[in-house]
Amino acid sequence: MTQRPLNQVLLHPGCRVGPELDQWLSGHGGEGLARACAAPGAIIDAIREAGLRGLGGSGYPTHKKWSFVAQQQGTGDKYLICNGNEDEPGTFKDRLLMAETPHQIIEGALITALACAINRIVFYINPDLGLAIDNMHQAVQQWRGTPPLQTAADALGRPIEMEVVASSGHYIGGEETAAIESVEGNFPFPRGKPPYPAESGVHGCPTLINNMETLANVPHILRNGAAWYRDLGLGDACGTKIYCISGDVLRPGAYELPMGTPLSELLYIYGDGMLVGKKLKAIFTGGPSNTILTTTDLDVPLDFESVAARRSALGTGAMIVVSHGTGIVKRVTEYVNFFAASSCGQCPSCKTGTYYISMLLSKIDTGEGTRADLESLINLCKILPGSGRCHLLDGAVKVLDSSLYHFMSEYEQALN
Amino acid sequence: MSGNAHEIHLTINGKDISAPPYLSVIQALWHAGYPRVKSVGCLEGVCGSCRVMVRRADSRQVTTELGCQVLVEEGMQVNFLLFPTPTHHRYQLDEIKNSWEVQARFHQFFPEAEKCRHCGGCNTTCPKGIQVEKGVELASKGKFREAGELFGECVLCNLCQTACPESIAPNHVGLFSRRVTAYFHTRPSNLIRRLERLRKGELQVVT
Amino acid sequence: MKGTPIEQALAEYTAAAQRPAPGAQPDTRELLRAFHPDHDAHAKVTLQVGPNKGDICHRQVAQLLQADARIDEADLAGSPVTETDVLVIGGGGAGCAAALVAQQQGARVIIATKLRLGDSNTVMAEGGIQASIEKDDTPQMHFDDTIRASRQVVDRELVAEMVSDAPDVIRWLIQQGMQFDLDDYGDLMTRRAGGTSAARVVYYRDYTGLEMMRVLREAIRTSDIEVWDYSPAVELLSSESGYCAGAVISSLKERQHKLVRAKAVILATGGIGRMHLNEFPTSNHFGATGDGLVLAYRLGARLRDLDSFQYHPSGLAYPQHLAGTLITEGVRSAGAYLLNGRGERFVDELQPRDHVAAAIIRECAEGRGISTGSGSGGVWLDTPSVELRNPGLFEARFPKLIQLGKKCGIDPRHQPMLIYPTLHYQNGGVVIDRNGQTNVPGLFCIGEASGGVHGRNRLMGNSLLDIISFGRRAGAHAAGRAHDRGHKKISIEHLSNLRRELTLAGMPLDSKGPLLFPGYANFENDSDYAGLRKNSEREGMQ
Repeated sequence: MTQRPLNQVLLHPGCRVGPELDQWLSGHGGEGLARACAAPGAIIDAIREAGLRGLGGSGYPTHKKWSFVAQQQGTGDKYLICNGNEDEPGTFKDRLLMAETPHQIIEGALITALACAINRIVFYINPDLGLAIDNMHQAVQQWRGTPPLQTAADALGRPIEMEVVASSGHYIGGEETAAIESVEGNFPFPRGKPPYPAESGVHGCPTLINNMETLANVPHILRNGAAWYRDLGLGDACGTKIYCISGDVLRPGAYELPMGTPLSELLYIYGDGMLVGKKLKAIFTGGPSNTILTTTDLDVPLDFESVAARRSALGTGAMIVVSHGTGIVKRVTEYVNFFAASSCGQCPSCKTGTYYISMLLSKIDTGEGTRADLESLINLCKILPGSGRCHLLDGAVKVLDSSLYHFMSEYEQALN
Repeated sequence: MSGNAHEIHLTINGKDISAPPYLSVIQALWHAGYPRVKSVGCLEGVCGSCRVMVRRADSRQVTTELGCQVLVEEGMQVNFLLFPTPTHHRYQLDEIKNSWEVQARFHQFFPEAEKCRHCGGCNTTCPKGIQVEKGVELASKGKFREAGELFGECVLCNLCQTACPESIAPNHVGLFSRRVTAYFHTRPSNLIRRLERLRKGELQVVT
Repeated sequence: MKGTPIEQALAEYTAAAQRPAPGAQPDTRELLRAFHPDHDAHAKVTLQVGPNKGDICHRQVAQLLQADARIDEADLAGSPVTETDVLVIGGGGAGCAAALVAQQQGARVIIATKLRLGDSNTVMAEGGIQASIEKDDTPQMHFDDTIRASRQVVDRELVAEMVSDAPDVIRWLIQQGMQFDLDDYGDLMTRRAGGTSAARVVYYRDYTGLEMMRVLREAIRTSDIEVWDYSPAVELLSSESGYCAGAVISSLKERQHKLVRAKAVILATGGIGRMHLNEFPTSNHFGATGDGLVLAYRLGARLRDLDSFQYHPSGLAYPQHLAGTLITEGVRSAGAYLLNGRGERFVDELQPRDHVAAAIIRECAEGRGISTGSGSGGVWLDTPSVELRNPGLFEARFPKLIQLGKKCGIDPRHQPMLIYPTLHYQNGGVVIDRNGQTNVPGLFCIGEASGGVHGRNRLMGNSLLDIISFGRRAGAHAAGRAHDRGHKKISIEHLSNLRRELTLAGMPLDSKGPLLFPGYANFENDSDYAGLRKNSEREGMQ
């Protein structure tokens, strides 16, 4: 297997300057913003051509999301929420970016603001990520009153406010509308849609929400051009992706690789293979939708489409590796418990549904389960999806459904 | 039975079932020959045993209801919820010395009650339409009589307990409220007079 | 069933404030003999074996009393044994009261219940509970009323104890935290039951049983009493000296048999509605299958009045999913007529329950009923006539009926409700003394499963009283056995006697008891519980 270039963009040593703005600007920092200021109207086109997508798990084309907000007319405030609530199982990329590369995020946020005529930027960060929130605080502070920020404000035609807001630490606070509630100072209850945040978000103002990794890519695209970014990816995929590999591998960690790098390379070259004596059983992809890849999927290119074609989802790019001897039912129970504990309570189908699934799984895992319990699980996978205001319940059901698809025999063997 | 002229098609616990329109989902399951003995109780909607999740055709919503009260509908999907939910709260009414202490003891017995985040899930899930959340709030404020009043129709189905993200057991909060109200404040003089006469042996029954 | 189709009957129905009185009525005894299900000759048999050999018994009940056991010695190999002082079988009001009192007196208590704690007939009781507390009332009057209603076939001592207990039963319930409807001065409100001489029923709205049950259940759940739910008893255990020494429990959760070795056993298993005697619908909860009668009888306990059951005249007959649901007698007391398929009154609606029930059955049997088209039928309960005479009455006094109407898609203020008698109560049961003790030492029986308290006809409000009065008594006396040494050896040896007797009497051994669940629930075919069936049978099946 060929070794791919590692950490070319976001985790490049030149970006890992911590909160020191001078250091950032003495490198290539600020160049992307300068180009954006020169031609704000061209930013969205560049992002579209680059093929940048939501890297918080959705994979939604970034330029589309931006366009909705950019189209909103009026002279009132517009908000950008930079989502750093990262709390998904197996995911630890945003905390790394915020702690080590805060300035590329801030610069990316400023470019985004220019593109969409946004004047209020909120860095919304999980308070449990201590270093991340501290460094973002410092970094934002250092931008205040600097010429590049003034240039950006001039290009926008009004002052740009930036602030760091600690989220509540609830997983559900990462959901877009929940984040809006949280920024308003409320409990992070997801809202019903419509209205969509692009029309009515924070305090009723048009609001854009992007993941930290997505925003971090923006200055590089502006500086190096859309074609450069596209070419970073393998096959049809664009750019790079920070993959978080964890579990029973020798070298767990966050590796920035071309989008579309095959799973086997991530696992055997960068993860350096399985721990001694362990045999690969399955990989849980992390993020809002934990789904399962198996040994037959080692060749899958890790990009949104290719993973989806294997009945799974790339999500945040987290790959949790489990070996033989790990009980799938127990593992799934833990993930479902995570969702059950995270349910905000507004939709009984979600809170009671996850509670009930978790109870049935524990029963089966401990050898107390009956065929009726298994049938009930299968049935709930059909009934529950889509019944919540947000997608938390869908996430819980996905991991269950995926495990039933790949490991039904393991469930059946566990029945009493 | 008058034949299959007008049968409804639905799924219950994943099984495809056809049943006449006048049956409840429990009866429909039996009608189709499937066994069901758990989650069946009074069959009149007062024991809280037969909790089901229901998704109706063309609806995104999944509701929680009592199976004996739900009539079959075309395209309906039903899943029975069978969960053991004994309360984890341990208390005896006679541990509370007098009515001045009720409020303090309540917060000892139910420390999570004041953590309500007002998501409203308990209200939505209650098959009896009780204002559950308000009841918890009233009890937390020490208004036990008023809180208890709201739970007059509670059947202890425990759905609110499973729906609460703060692990409050609202139905048990409601019942505690009702019980202390009776224990400390129900003092009917007609009953007390009669007990006194009986104690004196005045009202012997001649068989 | 033949009769006017319901659509036609509804089209022909018009509300009217007054209607002509019914025609000449037959003598009650004649009517009962001809149409009351208790008098159906088909329904009666003579018991061939057991303590009541030679007595008359309902055919379906007899079939279970004279059935083979569900288990064999071979099925108990490896079953875990749990020891306790008092084992209460049944989780309704009677069982809970007994358990609470026994535990309070220092006994270790296990409640084993077939369904969940509180899934019972208690929870459905609407009317209230009798206790003579008003100035113009006495326990003696309560006694006299109960004796009169019972048609004199009653254990007078039991009734005397119960009516004397009544005020203290109410106090005890309040101390458990039960609420009652109070007047402006904080006094208990009372209302009058049919056939009584004073206002004596205390109540909580029309949810008296629900309020009682949830309070008792909560008292148990917050205590140290062990509750085994989904744990029906399938056999009692006996000691060598003929004592009841525990029970075999079939755990539906663990899907295995478990033995409980106890110094005293209290049977509180409730009634028989779900046996659907004579194919009647029932107002009873799902678990009311007479299990306690069968268990006690096999161990040698005497039973009584097993041919006497209460059929409540106003059970809902339509819609079908609610068939058997009770409509309170209060609706007839408020003046609702009963109309047959021709729109005519056919009985004095305020006659005793058995009389009215028999008259409804007669109308339907003779083709003057109203047919639902799905095999069942009934007569109209003419609620709109009441609304015409007293606008607003239903909303004020019968909120639960309005609620029921909503579930049926019927507004009882404007549309009559189709009713048919529903199997409501088992009048007889296991013979007990004033402490709930049966003639088998160590075996107590309380509540609907016991007999002698209500004779052959029960008064409204005496059932909730019965369960708490005798529940507390049995709990206290059973706890008194906690200090006994316990039994040296426990077994199901009494089953050999049963099988011997059955064989000698030429009875088949192909049916088995207790019933546990009505046939339509398909318990016997549920593969989840295959492990609970007899080894011999399973082998046969393979």
